[in-house]
Formats: sequence, structure tokens, C-alpha cells
Amino acid sequence: MTKTALRTSLPWLLGVWMVLVTLGAFFYAPSAEGFKGESARIVFFHVPQAWVAVLAFCVNLVASVRYLRRRKALDDARAAAAARLGLVFSVLATVTGSLFANVMWNSFWNWDPREVSIAILLLIYAAYFALREAVVDEERRATLSAAYAVLAFVTMPFLIFVVPRIYWSLHPDTIIGATGKLKLEMESRMLQVLLGSLVGFTGLFVWLYTLDVRLARVRLARQKREEG
Amino acid sequence: MPGSESLVWVAAVTIVIWLGIFAYCMALDRRVRRLEEEQ
Repeated sequence: MTKTALRTSLPWLLGVWMVLVTLGAFFYAPSAEGFKGESARIVFFHVPQAWVAVLAFCVNLVASVRYLRRRKALDDARAAAAARLGLVFSVLATVTGSLFANVMWNSFWNWDPREVSIAILLLIYAAYFALREAVVDEERRATLSAAYAVLAFVTMPFLIFVVPRIYWSLHPDTIIGATGKLKLEMESRMLQVLLGSLVGFTGLFVWLYTLDVRLARVRLARQKREEG
Repeated sequence: MPGSESLVWVAAVTIVIWLGIFAYCMALDRRVRRLEEEQ
């Protein structure tokens, strides 16, 4: 299969995959015990969104470090694209989490350690874009934001993985336990849908990220032509 | 969150949202491809 054919067919495959995941989330996976009504089904969307946010921030770190080492404008564009998606998926994870919280605990916001830590993370990465907007010179902007991204990433594992495990939390048991081991104690059909959704959301992230980087490549080439 | 009888509606709305995102991404994909070809 050629690269173009693959590029054309993969989005369609992803489209069908996500429709199947959605149908699976509502009609194939059984209701979870210990949750109000059907609220637990939000896990099939909430967990993949949180996972993609973490993945995006990791990509942001890698691209930022590469920019600091190679000083290529495309690496800066890669870092910005990843941070943008990380921020979007963090907001989505926060919104789906709040919807779940409202059903389970009758309040959209409970000042739970997990809610507070994601809010802080959102502010940290929102500041990344405030910094990018504040600096006019492109090279200076890229250097400063890459350095900031490295510092921002240091807080990420702490806020996502450490803080919610230190303090008592309303949040249901996580997939990765306090000891760092995977705890996939889930009914097999639920697990199948969750893994399918993780694959789908990761595919969506890769697609959006690739689109953003390709767009940046076109913009940079045009800019180069105009300068030269 | 609705009861089981409303699951069909929630699923339908979720699929519609997903198809909207998908259509937007496809349009963006076509636009990027056109810009790449113009170069």
C-alpha cells in the first residue's frame, strides 16, 4: 500500500473504529457496579482523554528538548502542536470528570485532589501559550517556550500521578495503582471497549498532531520563500 | 446521567459529536493536502 493510500484510508478506519467504540461503550459493555445509573460508562471517554493529554505533554517535552538542541523552527511548531492538543484533551478530561462528579456526588466541582491538580496543570499549560503570545521575536519565543515546556513537564507527573495518590480522593480507583503497577481489574467486555477507545483516541491525537505539523511545515516553507 | 432507556439517545448524540469532529478533521486534511500540492 502506498503512503498516499494509507494516508487516505487511515482516517476512514479511525472514523468507523470510533463509531464502534461508542456503540460498544453504550451497548456492549455491561453496567458497572457501585456507580449511580450508567455514569461509569463515561470512563470509556474520560480515561482515553486523560491518557492523550499526558501523551501530548510528553511529545511537547521531546519536541522542546529537540528544539533546544537543534534550533529548528519545525521542532518548535511540533512542541506547540502537542501542547495545544494536550490542553484541549485536558479540558475534555476535566469536563467529562465534572459530569461524572455531578452524577456521583451532586456537584460538578468538589475540590478533590485530582480536580485541583488537573486545574493547576491546565493553568501551567495555558501560561505556555500566554508566553508564546507575549514574545514577538520567533527565535526568542521558541527558545523561551521550549525552556518553559521542560519546566512545565516536571510538574506533570507530580500533579497527575503523585498528588492524587498521596491524599484521600473521591476519584474511583485508578488504572495505575499507588505502587505504579497496572490494575486492570475490570470486566473483560469493559476492558475491551476501554482499550479500543484508548487506541481510537491515540489515533485521533496522531491524526490531529500530524495535520498541525504538516500545516506548520507549509507555513514555514512559505515564510522561507518570502524571505529568500 | 440518564437511565438505561436513554442510553440510545446519549449514544446517538455521542456519535453525532464524533462524526462532527471527524468531518472537521477530514476537511482540514483536504485543506492541508491542497496547500502541500500548491507548493
